[in-house]
Amino acid sequence: MDAAPAATETDVALCEDDLAEDDTADEDLTMEDLIEEVSIDGMCGVY
Amino acid sequence: MTTTLDQAWTLSPSVALRPEPFGALAYHFGNRKLIFLRRHELVAVVRALGEHPDARSALVAAGVPQAHHHAYAMALAGLAARDVIRRRPDGGENL
Repeated sequence: MDAAPAATETDVALCEDDLAEDDTADEDLTMEDLIEEVSIDGMCGVY
Repeated sequence: MTTTLDQAWTLSPSVALRPEPFGALAYHFGNRKLIFLRRHELVAVVRALGEHPDARSALVAAGVPQAHHHAYAMALAGLAARDVIRRRPDGGENL
């Protein structure tokens, strides 16, 4: 099995920013706070 | 009615989880979907699903508060829709 593709640094940074915001509204947790599908079509160098 | 939390699940064999600072990246080698798991608790739940008789017990074992179970159920249903996790047909433990 091939290795999983790496997310770009930008993608990871964006997700970390969102996560920091999510921590302030922990009581109102939603599905979108937990999972996010990312299109790999726009990720250069992933595949 | 049987809900997502009452059913037995396991991580799809077609999925690789890679740890990230925010949680983990899930990549499906079949449908090529890439999904951020944005909580460490969710990652723990997904990894442990196959060791529990149902998703609810996996949530409890991972320390997910009851107030968040609905959101986690929705997230697990979303992961199931993308074949990141799969129903265990036997409904029993998959050790």
